[in-house]
Amino acid sequence: MTAVDRHRLSMHHSEVQVSVELQTPDMTLNLGPQHPSTHGVLRLIARVDGEVIEEVEPVIGYMHRGYEKIAEVRTYPQITALVNRIDWVSGFANEIPFMVATERLMGLDVPERAQYIRLILTEMARISSHLVFLSSFPLELGAATPLMHALRERERVLDLIEGVTGGRFHPNFNRVGGVKPAAGAGSTQKKVIQDLPIEFLEQSRQAMQYVRDVCDDLKDLVVGNEIFMERTKGIGIIPVDKALAFGVSGPNLRASGVPFDIRKTDDYLPYSNFEFDVATGENGDCFDRYTVRLEEVIQASRIIDQAIDSIPSGELQAKVPRIFKVPQGEIYVRAENPKGEMGYYIVSEGGRGPYRLKIRSASFSNLSVLPWLLQGQLVPDVIAILGSLDFVLGDVDR
Amino acid sequence: MTANPSELAERVAGVVGSDRFSSDNGTAKVRVDSDHWLEAHQTLGAEMPYFSWLSAIDWATEVAVGDPPESEDVESRYEILSCLGNVETGELVVLSTDIAKDDPSIASLTDVFGGANWHEREAAEMMGIDFVGHPNLTHLYLPDAFEGHPLRKTFPLLSRDVKPWPGTVDVEPMPDEEGPSTENPEDAG
Repeated sequence: MTAVDRHRLSMHHSEVQVSVELQTPDMTLNLGPQHPSTHGVLRLIARVDGEVIEEVEPVIGYMHRGYEKIAEVRTYPQITALVNRIDWVSGFANEIPFMVATERLMGLDVPERAQYIRLILTEMARISSHLVFLSSFPLELGAATPLMHALRERERVLDLIEGVTGGRFHPNFNRVGGVKPAAGAGSTQKKVIQDLPIEFLEQSRQAMQYVRDVCDDLKDLVVGNEIFMERTKGIGIIPVDKALAFGVSGPNLRASGVPFDIRKTDDYLPYSNFEFDVATGENGDCFDRYTVRLEEVIQASRIIDQAIDSIPSGELQAKVPRIFKVPQGEIYVRAENPKGEMGYYIVSEGGRGPYRLKIRSASFSNLSVLPWLLQGQLVPDVIAILGSLDFVLGDVDR
Repeated sequence: MTANPSELAERVAGVVGSDRFSSDNGTAKVRVDSDHWLEAHQTLGAEMPYFSWLSAIDWATEVAVGDPPESEDVESRYEILSCLGNVETGELVVLSTDIAKDDPSIASLTDVFGGANWHEREAAEMMGIDFVGHPNLTHLYLPDAFEGHPLRKTFPLLSRDVKPWPGTVDVEPMPDEEGPSTENPEDAG
């Protein structure tokens, strides 16, 4: 049933005396740039015929900060501070592909313990990012309660990230060759006594249990809610061929039934050491995009539990000179970020900074499907579809 | 990556009819002629339907910001890159072509991959490249009245000309240029 059919059907049921043949002139509807439903500063110029969208043009660029240009005048360690501001809801995860790309260009072997710490914090960033989505998406559809439940547990996870890195959103914690000693351990100390905060592992284990509990709550509160189902099932379907041609990745692609997870295909972090399932949907609608992310939170907590049990001891950083140049070469490294495929194409010409840095961000490609996706949809469904794509404007504009 | 990058590069080069391929640093890269840019994507699209990204590099020996290339025999040109993948095998390949700076135009991929639309608009405004056949080659990020192409190497960072970035005063010399280095990772923070 298409959106238009549904619209006509409901009018029929309520016996409204309106002819579906009613002539409604084209009207231009402006959504945003400042609007709570647009997740930041996104403007949509929609041409509507009555309640039906005929054409929509997203206007982006309000958050454009020109990182690709700034990166050309910065050194590699300085760029770490830039990249975790791209998708600020999962700041830590943004640093990983950039670090791995730089390390591979330099031929460095990162100590295993550092890789495990990176992996644990990346999965925590995924949980924190997904919990924001899982609670704010129902809010946009009118359900305020899940927000209180999910953000409480998200704060627990953010506290853990902050305890290690010193920052809730912008950790700036990775170093080329590993990670830095944890906040509070004294980064200027000559000898690293303590690399993770006391009781970090135990608290993480507890937090993961709380996270799984809140997922159960969300299943009851949201997934089983009839109003939620009505608003999301069969709405905003992205077929697989369109998703691939537009570069849609991450949970949005998996909701369409494609079990593509870069954690399984690439080896940027030691994910092959852990057991976890790739959550997929069936229909590619807003509802599936919600349940896929809900399942991913549970899987991420599974990964963290296993990593805590098996984290090896050892060094935190490979031997890297304080000031270094990166050998000439080109490399593309991508990672499975909470929003989807995040990658960096680094062109090094043997300097302290890259000659050219291309940032491939997930939200940019995920949002580019919007003009196609919104055609023929109803205006009230626009909010559901926008919310279900889970984009961050900083990740779109870079 | 699941697939061996060098084998992948060789296989893709065979599919698109090119003999220039590399797999340095684990990144499979195949170079094609600019005349065959669209054709190569149409051919490869059946096997690699996932369109990851498209961008460009400005190769120049004189730059307004940053460091110029180390080797001085860099040929002045724009290099267009696109990245295609297969989501079943996890394979990923970068296609690349060169276009001359005095005529920076190339066929648009929007008919093959819908996702190329925004990526090409970005490359057009940032690098000044004309994508022939693009339905709406207007500014994506920049204001409509913005003049110039910011990612070109000739484009200066004006804000840094007015006020130097404070971080520049902290830049230490390379160890081989002056004094011994401290190879102490704990200091790196």
